[in-house]
Amino acid sequence: MRGKVWKFGDDIDTDQIYPGAYLTVTDEDEMAKYAMTGVEGRENFADVVSKGDIIVAGKNFGCGSSREHAPMAIKKLGIACVIAKSFARIFYRNAINIGLPVIELKETDEINEGDELEVDVHEGVIKNLTTGKVYKAMPMGELERKIMEAGGLIEYLRGENEG
Amino acid sequence: MLVNSTVIQKIMGEKVGRKVEVGEKILLPLDLVVMRDFGGPNVIKKYVEKFGEERPLDARKIAFTFDLHLPARQIKEAENQKACREFAKKYGIKVFDVNNGIGQHTLLENGMIKPGSVVIGTDSHMNLLGAANSFSTGVGTTDIVAGMRFGKTWFKVPETIKINVEGGLSKGVYAKDLILHIVKTLGSDGAAYKAVEFYGDIIEKMNLAARITMASMVTEMDGKISFFPMNDAAKEELRKYVSFDKVYNADGDAEYAEEYTIETPSSPQIACPHSPDNVKSIEEVEGVEINQAFIGSCTNGRLEDLREAAKILKGRKIKEGFRLIITPATINVAREAEERGYIKIFLEAGAIVTNPSCALCTIGHPGVLATGDATLSTSNRNFPGKIGKGSIYLCSPAVAAYSAIKGKIADPREVL
Repeated sequence: MRGKVWKFGDDIDTDQIYPGAYLTVTDEDEMAKYAMTGVEGRENFADVVSKGDIIVAGKNFGCGSSREHAPMAIKKLGIACVIAKSFARIFYRNAINIGLPVIELKETDEINEGDELEVDVHEGVIKNLTTGKVYKAMPMGELERKIMEAGGLIEYLRGENEG
Repeated sequence: MLVNSTVIQKIMGEKVGRKVEVGEKILLPLDLVVMRDFGGPNVIKKYVEKFGEERPLDARKIAFTFDLHLPARQIKEAENQKACREFAKKYGIKVFDVNNGIGQHTLLENGMIKPGSVVIGTDSHMNLLGAANSFSTGVGTTDIVAGMRFGKTWFKVPETIKINVEGGLSKGVYAKDLILHIVKTLGSDGAAYKAVEFYGDIIEKMNLAARITMASMVTEMDGKISFFPMNDAAKEELRKYVSFDKVYNADGDAEYAEEYTIETPSSPQIACPHSPDNVKSIEEVEGVEINQAFIGSCTNGRLEDLREAAKILKGRKIKEGFRLIITPATINVAREAEERGYIKIFLEAGAIVTNPSCALCTIGHPGVLATGDATLSTSNRNFPGKIGKGSIYLCSPAVAAYSAIKGKIADPREVL
């Protein structure tokens, strides 16, 4: 996948990713409107991103509440993947479970807003087409890969049950 | 079979019938799948979307705990709660409705959690049930839907951090101060993906309420779960709620990813805006003007917490114009607080006592902050926007109560 970078800092919590005021929303497409709007200066995020864009952040992305609205809003907005120095545990598993690619990469400080990236999620290879740098992140674990390939946890377990 | 194992390895190993290794990904059978009034509606919607009329695997292993909007203030909340009730009725699922209180505490008091229980719920503080020697963890909608239909989900067997606590807790210093000090020491991602085991004389002596306070804040260092030594006193206290034979303690030769020795703090600790790991001793923030305090939440809403607040508020008045909001964790806690005279003390002091719920842990409860407001809170998070525009300082119930009298951050040891 190939996309333009939107850059965020450390400790972006789920209230910033998906503000608590919209928790009563159950329509997944509607959630997209509120993605990242709790981050200062990103109130109009949904209007400026394009399908296939990539979020790059610092450490502990997605800390805070267990709301699945957070990765779902990002996915429904059309963000192709999230790359961060580290992810909060619940956000990470929620993302895998709904099929939103997440990649841990230590060197996210070297990636800037507006850079163009080419990402191989399975192999964990990230090419920064703007700076020319190539990064090797941890490839995805086997079970996570199976879940992602099945299209999410429910589809995976259904397959397990029937198989 | 289950030798040199940490507590989490023992609990997971027992479920799959073999020793599990750290780092391994396993599918684990679930004892209980829980959802709240927020989260629940998304679960139902997704369940129906994915499975239509197919029945959940075992309705006895599913529960709704309404604890956020109690009772509903907005039509949308009412609709969501109604949808949960109807779904539950259709499949014979237990609902702990709006008159119960905070989910994890309600489940515990109703005998639904015991040592070794594997529980998932739509609450990032599910893991406070580690205090009851259970592996309970917060997950999102998809895990819950999968758990309801298939009775299992996936986990990584986590590494464990061993924390040895040295020293005692002097008057006016509580489990909350200790855990804030530990969160400061390890940082907001200091236990990421990991389990935590607490040891030390002071830990051995801690009652269930204090253990819950500690366990709930392990989330604030991104820990998966935490455990405490299951000694005779801990077993006895838990048996008030549930009967069980077995408890899970680590083997002497269990392997730990990291080991810390942490001295207990000598004074009350305050987590300053806007992160739970931005912790300072009370001496550094004493005198900061505040206009609200909240005593309650899954971290500090138990009877023991209210008792400490009552000790301080007895015969005193909060400062004029100050808002002190007190919310018992559950209906049982509220009833007992009433019987012991704490509620009367609170009301006479000028506090607002609300019905049991998660209360001011989120913006969805009366008492939100205006721009420039500052509040003390016995809750567990002080992220920006969490309960409105102002800033949040996290503290023990004693600090919150005494500061309400003074109208500024004040040290309760002056009157204890």
